[in-house]
Amino acid sequence: MPGFGRFLTYRVVRMLIALWSVVTVVFVVMRLSGDPVPLLLPPDAPIAEMERLRHEMGLDRPIYVQYGVFINQAVQGDFGRSIHFRTSAMTVVWERVPATLELAFASFVCAIVVAIPAGIISAVRRGSLIDDIVMGVALVGQAAPTFYIGIMLILTCSLWLGLFPTSGRGDWRNLVLPAVTLGAFAMASIARITRSAVLEILRADYIRTARAKGLPEFWTLAKHTMRNAAIPIVTIVGLQLGNLLGGAVVTETIFSWPGIGRLAIQSIYNRDYPVVQSCVFMTAAMFVVVNFLVDVAYGVLDPRIRH
Amino acid sequence: MTEKDKRHDGVTVDGLARMLQDGRITRRGFLAGAAGLLGSMAAAEGILARVAGAQTTSKNTLVVGQSSDVSKLDPQMSTTVNDIAITFNLFDNLLTRRRDGKLYPSLATEWKLVNPTTWQFKLRPNVKFHNGDRFTSADVKFSYERSYDANAKVITMSVLNTIERIETPDPLTVVIVTKKPDPLLAARTAFYAGQIMPKDYFAKVKDDEFNAKPIGTGPVKLASWVKDDRIILDANADYWGGKLAVNQIIFRPLPELAARVGALLKGEVDIITKVPPDQMDRIAKAPTTKIEGVLYGGLYCLSVTTQKPPLDSKPFRQAMSLALDRETIVKELWRNQAAVPNSLVVKGDSHHDPTLPPLKYDPNQAKQLLKEANYKGEELTLETPIGFMVMDKEMSEVVTAMWKDVGINAKLEQLEYSVYQQKIREKSFKGVRWTDPTSAYNDPDGMMWRHLAPGGPNAYWFRNPRFDELGNAARYSVDEKFRAEAYKEMARLELEFLPLIPVIQPMELYGLQKYVDWKPYANQTMEFRNFNLKLTRG
Repeated sequence: MPGFGRFLTYRVVRMLIALWSVVTVVFVVMRLSGDPVPLLLPPDAPIAEMERLRHEMGLDRPIYVQYGVFINQAVQGDFGRSIHFRTSAMTVVWERVPATLELAFASFVCAIVVAIPAGIISAVRRGSLIDDIVMGVALVGQAAPTFYIGIMLILTCSLWLGLFPTSGRGDWRNLVLPAVTLGAFAMASIARITRSAVLEILRADYIRTARAKGLPEFWTLAKHTMRNAAIPIVTIVGLQLGNLLGGAVVTETIFSWPGIGRLAIQSIYNRDYPVVQSCVFMTAAMFVVVNFLVDVAYGVLDPRIRH
Repeated sequence: MTEKDKRHDGVTVDGLARMLQDGRITRRGFLAGAAGLLGSMAAAEGILARVAGAQTTSKNTLVVGQSSDVSKLDPQMSTTVNDIAITFNLFDNLLTRRRDGKLYPSLATEWKLVNPTTWQFKLRPNVKFHNGDRFTSADVKFSYERSYDANAKVITMSVLNTIERIETPDPLTVVIVTKKPDPLLAARTAFYAGQIMPKDYFAKVKDDEFNAKPIGTGPVKLASWVKDDRIILDANADYWGGKLAVNQIIFRPLPELAARVGALLKGEVDIITKVPPDQMDRIAKAPTTKIEGVLYGGLYCLSVTTQKPPLDSKPFRQAMSLALDRETIVKELWRNQAAVPNSLVVKGDSHHDPTLPPLKYDPNQAKQLLKEANYKGEELTLETPIGFMVMDKEMSEVVTAMWKDVGINAKLEQLEYSVYQQKIREKSFKGVRWTDPTSAYNDPDGMMWRHLAPGGPNAYWFRNPRFDELGNAARYSVDEKFRAEAYKEMARLELEFLPLIPVIQPMELYGLQKYVDWKPYANQTMEFRNFNLKLTRG
């Protein structure tokens, strides 16, 4: 399958270029935007102490020298030592990966289990009350800010009903509220895209043909509609999964979830360059891998795309 | 980051900025309102009322919700509030400063000044580190020397560097010789950098492993540490000061104010830190929780950073101070959870002068002084971070409005915290900035002189020969009577020239379950010991 091989090689090269660009942009922007040293020391530390620490961390060297050192180490898998935690930056990030994956997959499963059936039902029963309800809920899910949904869930489900803990990571009960909060947006967009994709296919000639030849409605949907509506759905599902894997700053903060998103933002504020770079690299890598899988899925779902 | 998270960047960034800076931060703004919902809804109150019986507990674990994560447990690698809250429990110092502001024996049982440059400490016998190693004078010598060793890459270098050498004549005696007379040496041993680490264990494990698995002599030992999630500390059954009232203390980061307050109201945590004044009532009025506060050992001040007109004029600066209605700031913004200072020597410090009146508010005199200063309406810029100090943004708005009221053309600029910090380092502010000097060692030397001495963090332009002479003399004098007089005169000079304009001395508020009997310290160390932590048992 030489066509598919070339398709794969092309995608892999693109992945690497994307990763390199992202990391480089982050490297430059972080260094231009502020200095970590004053944040490490007590607010009223003497200037001489700050200069000493800057020198010790190599931050007084020209930016291109710092970049050279960084790239040289990065290709060997070493992203440097965290300025804030004083330990290997990648280790700091890896420690957050399990929590991030746990939350991302829980939200993702929440989202697709609810959203795809809801989208299909909504499309099939277009204009009905159920369509209005599904799309109304989706609109709210998409429009309501995460912090609002999160805090409302804490208020209702934790404080009033006492069903779940208010925050923290622990057993499945700790996972429910953050997963729903984080999944709300993905759920809403997947439901909307599913609905419109299915609607479009339902209008196609071959669906009319399928119906005309007396195929039961279930098979019309399952075999002819869904297969053809899959491309946009797979795209949005992939994008949402990438987003979820990147960590969710607001959700993680509200629920004190020890994930990558919160670490990244904290590290940005601490100007902890090595950790930010590692977080971004990790996030970008996950995103790019998911995109790659989506691309491959396209190729499988629609052979025309391979060529 | 999900797309939706990104869409709310303004909001998130605002809040998260606060969460980070060493924890002295509270998320206010929109989230305060959101948190308000948690406490104020009648239904919630109803449910809480049903558990009102829960004012005693059978729990053997104390859970503390802090406003931010812990970054390091090596006590010489961090001075941030959330870190030292833990290290002051894992480790002991030779002396300890308790809630009353006084120094008490800890690992040292006696201490005395032998001559102006020599201090002698007698150590407590039969104290063991968590790994069983015996505590001796060698550990003190090792810990102190590391704290100011440039090669050790620690960040506590400026605390104990008045020491010239340390002698250990026997395992239970430490003799410290200072370069010059240092009246604050005893106080320094009670501060960060003074925590005693085990010499032999450290030699074996070195920096990184010590930070991951710290060993001290304190009342708790580290059981586990899941970053950003929880730190579990087990009570040290052999603690020399008596076993704690609980078997375990857990520290959890709860950066989101609404979640932190919610966790307290629901009983998931026993103590929370960084309660902003507008959340106070909700916690105090809930049936199972209460508020404890302590006056911050420092001040919120406005620092005059340039000598450009109009700030070069003494009457203009005096007008700036007289225009501030501090009573209103305390009453309205702080709901009375702050005090109006009377000078740069704060309440709770040695040599604080209680006879001085609180700083005056007199808009008419301010207007008069502006005339005297020949003020022509030049712009005055106040630069403020958001969430660096509790309510800095709100106070900045109020302060600029008060200045406008007397005719000062005041302008407010908001900066991101790390940019603000960079400007501190570069000394590049445009006019006036906020600063919250802590009174290190509870002494004017650790505040007024440290900040305004040549090269000090707030010595932008101010130099006065008499002020400098007194500051230097008092720093190296062990005659407390002389020092008292010197600081009195320096405080008067400071109020005349106003390089720093004191605004308020805030309270730091904590939320607690009613069954927890513990009171916070002004130095934010969150010390839990057998004598100060009790739980009401059913």
